[in-house]
Formats: sequence, structure tokens, C-alpha cells
Amino acid sequence: MSKTVIQFTILTILLVMAQVLVLNHICLFNVAVPMVFIYIIIRLPITLGANWAMTVGFILGLVVDIFSDTYGMNALACTILAVLRRPVLHLYVSREEELPRPEPSIYSLGTTACLKYLLTMTLVYCTLIFLIESFTFFNPLRLVLLIVCSTLLSVLLMAGIDSLLTPRSEKRL
Amino acid sequence: MAKTGLPYNRLYMRELLKFFIKYSSWLVFTVYMVVSCVLLFTSNPYQHHLYLTSANAVSASVYSAVSNVTSYFSLRDINEDLQRRNADLELEVYKLKNVIRDYHEKEYADSMVVDSALSRYHFIIAHVINNSINRSHNYITIGKGSLDGIEPEMGVVDQNGVVGIVNVTGPHTARLISLLNPHLRLSCKVKGQDHVGSLAWDGRDPGEAILEELPRHAVFHKGDTIVTSGFSSVFPEGVLVGTVVDAEKEHDDNFFALRVKLFTDFSTLSTVRVIRDKMKDELREVEQDIEVKSTF
Repeated sequence: MSKTVIQFTILTILLVMAQVLVLNHICLFNVAVPMVFIYIIIRLPITLGANWAMTVGFILGLVVDIFSDTYGMNALACTILAVLRRPVLHLYVSREEELPRPEPSIYSLGTTACLKYLLTMTLVYCTLIFLIESFTFFNPLRLVLLIVCSTLLSVLLMAGIDSLLTPRSEKRL
Repeated sequence: MAKTGLPYNRLYMRELLKFFIKYSSWLVFTVYMVVSCVLLFTSNPYQHHLYLTSANAVSASVYSAVSNVTSYFSLRDINEDLQRRNADLELEVYKLKNVIRDYHEKEYADSMVVDSALSRYHFIIAHVINNSINRSHNYITIGKGSLDGIEPEMGVVDQNGVVGIVNVTGPHTARLISLLNPHLRLSCKVKGQDHVGSLAWDGRDPGEAILEELPRHAVFHKGDTIVTSGFSSVFPEGVLVGTVVDAEKEHDDNFFALRVKLFTDFSTLSTVRVIRDKMKDELREVEQDIEVKSTF
């Protein structure tokens, strides 16, 4: 148990640092912003209570907000994302008791289900964050483009992180 | 009396607790939502608290550590900018020398009044430790704060032109509202004329902004230089802002809106100068006096 907690903490610090110091400054072709720190919320064990998930989401969002001067934008989006985690997972996985591990990953869910879950969650988050951000200038075409491109880029990166985190011995199974 | 034998108030407490435990998720969710929304919709950017911005101690130290490394990356561009600016200044010095020589020749030197306009301002040099250009509201963090004499609402420029305005200061760091932020509206004019408009970013291109509310009878051409008007104590008159790219009429046809290409390259921002106006307090006092008198 405590090993998992420590692993999660290290992963959180690494991902938040990567997001804040490197990825926030990237805007590929002026339309795709990679959002990687939400992988923490996506990977939270399915057995974790809703209150704890929301708390983790809120604090995570707030930390990223503080670093990137976005005042509650990420906190809001991450809290909603943490609430939607379980319903979205249930769309693609019918029995969560049969999972080999409580954390949703390619290993525990299988490639197709995991990618669907990842894609849905990222799409929800990107839609939320760009909708909140575009209160000032509403430009529907650019908004859709931003959401779609950022989602694709983020999913690609997070799938990569997922495969890095899976131990080699488990991959062969 | 209830079946359990407990007094009514204890029973109510128990029911209340049960209710809270049953719906605790909704409660937690509501609390987080309210907190985030309050943060999100605090409209005045000058009211933001220091701890919730990138100028707080922890994030500022992380950013300055990283900036120590990354500040070397764009040195070539910055060097070129400095060279160009240096050349411009040398040219100006040469011109001014000529003017002074002319004055000497006319023997006005003794009776000449020294121009005190420039000594009114003082510059504080600071390094940019964090900067964003791809959001809809961009902010910049610099590595100097209130201990170095920086206060909110001071103007900031770099070697090319206007950068932004200080809004939150910590002891060793400060955060600026970038010119690439719709909260910032800058009073500007076409160089050599007196018609004033208001410059704001439209959120599209980090290299361009819009000069709005310029009266229709103002005369301008493509390529004209836009400078600050000096109507506030934030920026002195004549600080470079950009050049006119294109003109379009605003909806009511009484005003022009000009598309302005900014001189400042926000993607390679490194060293900036914070402008300290020595007459700011005096000006503020005078303006407050007027307000007080006008209420009578």
C-alpha cells in the first residue's frame, strides 16, 4: 500500500514538473497543447473513494494553476474529471472486480479499452479547459481545433508514459 | 420520546450526521467547485493573492532555477536585438551631439534650461524567470520584487518596446500582466500626432495587437510607428510599441481600429527594465485632491 502511495507521489511530482516547466510552453502548430499531468487522475486506483479522488484532482489542479497563473481553471476541470472517472471507466469495463490491478492501465484493462478510456477522459478535460479559457474570445473553429489536436497529442504522450510505467515482465503476459 | 431512548436533539444530530455521510461526495464536490469558481471569476487581476500566483516563493524558486539554464538558449536573438538598439542609440547620441553643438554655436548654452523630463524616471533591470505566450491571459514572472523597489502598476519595457505592467509583488519576485493579456489596455498614439487610442491584445497572434478607439479623423499610414501616449504615470510618453500593419473601421464607424505589429518579441523575452516614476506619488496626490474638491 505505502509503496503504491510513494510511487504515485513521485509520478505526480515528475508529471507536474514536466507539465509546468516544459509542456505548458509548447503549442505545436499553434493548436496542440500537450496536457500530461491529468494522467495522475486517470491512473488513480478504481478502488479509491470518490471524495479522495476529488481531493487529489482539486489539489493537483490548484498546483498547476499556481504555477501557470490560471486561477482555478485547472482546479475546476480536474475536480470534474475526478468525478467522471468512474462513470467513464464503466462505459468500457463492465466488471471492475475482475481487473488484475486496481489502477487503470494498458496492462490491466487491455489496449482497446484503455485507449478508449484515455481518449474519453482527455477529451472531457481538454473540452472543459479550453471552454473555460475561451470565455473572453469566442472563436468556435479554433476552439474545436484546439480541443481535438490537444486531445490527440496528449493521448499519444500518455499512452507512451503508460507503457514506460509497465514493468517488462508484465508486458510479455 | 423516540424508540432508541435518546433525547430528540441527539437523534436529530445522528440523522444529520447520517445525511452528511450519505451525501458527502456531493458536499465535497460543491465545496471544490465553489472554491475553483471563486478563484476563476475574481475579475480584477490586481486583487489576486501572491500565494496563488507564480510569484510565490516555491514556484518562483523553481522557475528561477530553470531559468538559470534556459536563459542561455535565446542569447543569439537577444544579442542581435541589443546590437540593433545600440546602433539606434548611437545614432541618436550622434544627432543629439550635433544639436548640442548647434546650441553651443548659437551661444545659448548658458541660458538653456536643462530638460528634467528624463530624470523623472528610473529603471530597475530584472530577469524574466517565467513567461507564457500561448494562453488567452498571459503573465510574466520576473526575479526582482518589492525589496528592489518594485511596486504594483509599474510599467515594464525591454530593449525593443513595451512588455507589460507589474501587478503582484513578492519580496524577491514580481508578476507582470503581459501585453498579451486582454486585462491590459495601453493608451497609445501614432508617433508625431496627438490622437490617442487604446491598445489591447485580441488573443490571436502573439506578435500583433489592436489599437482601438482611434478617432476617425486621425491620419496614419501603414508602417507608422505606435508609441505610448504618456497619459498615465505607468509609461513615459513615446515608448515604442509597434508598427501599423492594417486598418479596419470599428462597428460604429466613428473610430478606427489598427492592427499593430509589436516590436517586443515575447517568445525570447529575457532581460527587462521596470520603470519607476519618481513623480507618481505626487501625481496621485494631486489627482486625489481634485477628486475630493469636485465632490463639494
